[in-house]
Amino acid sequence: MDQRMIAGHAPTPPAARMENHGPTMARVAMTTGQDVFARAGSMVAYEGYIQYESNPASWGRAIAGRLTGESVPLMKCQGDGLLYLADYGANVVCLPLENDNISVNATNVLAFDAHLEWGVQRVKGIAKFAGQGLFNLGISGTGWVAVTSRGLPIVVDCAQSGETYVDPDALVAWSTGLQVNGKRSFKAGSLIGRGSGEAYQLGFSGTGFVIVQPSEDSTDRLAQQQ
Amino acid sequence: MVTQFTRGQKARLSDLTRGTDLYVGVQISGPGLVFDISCFGLDAEERLSDDRYFVFYNQPKSPEEALQLLGAQAGDTESFRVTLDKVPAAIDRLAFTATIDGEGTMAQAAPGYLRIVAGGEEVARYSFDGSEFSTERAVMLGDFYRKDGWRFAAVGQGFDGGLAALLRHFGGEVEDEEPEPEPAGAAPGFAPPGAAPGFAPPAAPGFAPPAAASAPPAAPQPAPPPAAFQPPAPQPAAPQPAAFQPPPPQPAPAPQPPVAPQPPVATQPPAAPQPAQPAYGLPQPAGTGAFAAPPTAPQPGFAPQPGQSPQPGFAPQPGQPPQPGQPAAYPQPGLPQGGPVQGGPVQGGPVQGGPVQGGLRGTLDQFRGGTEQGRWAQPNAQLIRVDLGEGGPVLARQGSMVLYQGDVDFGYKGAGVRGRLKARMTGEGFPSLMRCTGSGRVFLAEEAARLHLVELQGDALCVTSQHVLAFDESLDCDVRRIDGHGIPGGSLFALQFQGHGTLVLTTRGEPLVMPVTPMTFADANAIVAWSAAAQVLVANQVRLRRHAYPGHTGETTQLQFRGAPGNFAIVQPYEI
Repeated sequence: MDQRMIAGHAPTPPAARMENHGPTMARVAMTTGQDVFARAGSMVAYEGYIQYESNPASWGRAIAGRLTGESVPLMKCQGDGLLYLADYGANVVCLPLENDNISVNATNVLAFDAHLEWGVQRVKGIAKFAGQGLFNLGISGTGWVAVTSRGLPIVVDCAQSGETYVDPDALVAWSTGLQVNGKRSFKAGSLIGRGSGEAYQLGFSGTGFVIVQPSEDSTDRLAQQQ
Repeated sequence: MVTQFTRGQKARLSDLTRGTDLYVGVQISGPGLVFDISCFGLDAEERLSDDRYFVFYNQPKSPEEALQLLGAQAGDTESFRVTLDKVPAAIDRLAFTATIDGEGTMAQAAPGYLRIVAGGEEVARYSFDGSEFSTERAVMLGDFYRKDGWRFAAVGQGFDGGLAALLRHFGGEVEDEEPEPEPAGAAPGFAPPGAAPGFAPPAAPGFAPPAAASAPPAAPQPAPPPAAFQPPAPQPAAPQPAAFQPPPPQPAPAPQPPVAPQPPVATQPPAAPQPAQPAYGLPQPAGTGAFAAPPTAPQPGFAPQPGQSPQPGFAPQPGQPPQPGQPAAYPQPGLPQGGPVQGGPVQGGPVQGGPVQGGLRGTLDQFRGGTEQGRWAQPNAQLIRVDLGEGGPVLARQGSMVLYQGDVDFGYKGAGVRGRLKARMTGEGFPSLMRCTGSGRVFLAEEAARLHLVELQGDALCVTSQHVLAFDESLDCDVRRIDGHGIPGGSLFALQFQGHGTLVLTTRGEPLVMPVTPMTFADANAIVAWSAAAQVLVANQVRLRRHAYPGHTGETTQLQFRGAPGNFAIVQPYEI
């Protein structure tokens, strides 16, 4: 057998709690007592003894209810070993939080440390625009978060020049503390009745960053699979 | 008195009214249907020899304003003001048409009419009904035409193919015959030979301002002074020199090389990717057309210089390996990845529960963008950043904006009549464009496709319509169409760009740039772009018999490219 393929893609010794294995896979080094929430269905492999509390009734209802039907079910993973997570080939970025506070689009969450504080946020102003509304997980504390992005993400600082406007479908995450408001930027007269319809953006202002994916594909593949 | 017309009926206009400043109203509707009502100004051969006389929602009047689109009013879905005296002599016929925008057929249309109003009084009405039609998607309603003075005919003729068929009928589609002729800069076929010269001199008698008495009530504007009549827009283009004019080397406008992003430095020796790179940037040094010359350094000022690059680890400079110790460049998808990527500066040693050095900022710095210099920049392989402040508006595919900063206006844009119209005919392959103006910065991307900046310096490039993401408005853009049996969808649409400016291509995966040799073929589904001087032929080949199972013709269609050395074709590893 060609050993190059085998050797080239073998895992390296874990160096951090969460890290990438290739651009599209996250690896979580699990230890007992440090549980992880991951998107249900995102596990592609694991090594060791890991148990999944896959969408327990209490969890599921709580989360699904908070997400108003647009359920983004999470599973709680616990045990010892290495856990590999992926979301249909989306790029994965592992973010270490140090008393940071970020808000991640619910469909772009792959995993996060269970000890982080988190809650579902409804993005003000956008629900009445987009079809199903935009729901985010607000995550804060010190620990790891893995987020997905369709394509190579880009981080843009908001403070640079006034407001930054983002297509909601391309939005992955932002640092909380930014002012958010919805905006309709396309001229109404120029678009009505022609093609793509209206376009809305989220405007961010203040000091912080937004993470954007180079794709307007906000399909939740993991949820569809269920 | 209203004269009722039936299908096919004709009458002398002077029998209907003495006025020549007419109001033409069309009422047409149908459940769920959207109609575009247009007026074609045709020459004696019933061809649209000057596309400025195609009056539709994106071009509301003809140059001398003899034809004006007035919009919906007085119960009419669409209305026109027609000043027959001002119609140039070369325009022999004014055809009013309705086409369905979107799904539906004319059979679904509710009863409607075309009426002529002169001096506030309706003088003629042609009523029609959806039951007269079946699956047509366009209908010619009525014509004004010259025959011993102006006459009116109620036509009522449907067209199956909608706007495309209609335009072809009027000669708007004679260009891009197969095999495609050696391309000239502007589409020669759009102005049929002979039509244009006869067009130029304005008809002296026809330009008197309309009689005041006949001003229609619905057209409140005063009759404008006769505008100077311009020669028709389509110029018979000078044929291109046989040898494709090779531009200066492609500047690398972004940290990433334009098309063939270099494989990770770790996996391949730096020399390996070199040949692929210049190939994309239009062929190299002037005159010689050498194809695989090595790339030159990025143009100063265009790409961030290595020293200026604020995040050296963000993306490798072409040919410059990332510095050890800095965060590794984010890996290219699809490239061999040896082991896990460094997700940021990480500590060695035992597994840590908490965050490591560098923290959130350090991790995010790898992906940080928006600090690049230059009008066009590429923060990563899948994103383009354009600074509108420096040099004019940009046309981009609608919906491709992912983020913008500053004062940017997005408007719906037709790329001129011809470009716009043909863009629609390309169907879903080329969705509408938006025009980005203002002083801010716009980030464009599409479905995480690989993006490539191509700077044209007086040369021409053909790009299949679905692979165009954005381009400088200053570039000339023309539609070329390649027909051939076996091409999916019947024909392949390409946009030919010419001039000085930048355009952005999308490819799925890493593209291949092939030099055009006597035997260069590409799959019509995988072709992305080609140098405009290359000739495109549709080649049908009978394949091996084992492919000829029932239901399959055993025939497959390829595009063959021919041209002088220096021409090239770009193919993506993805057949759509």
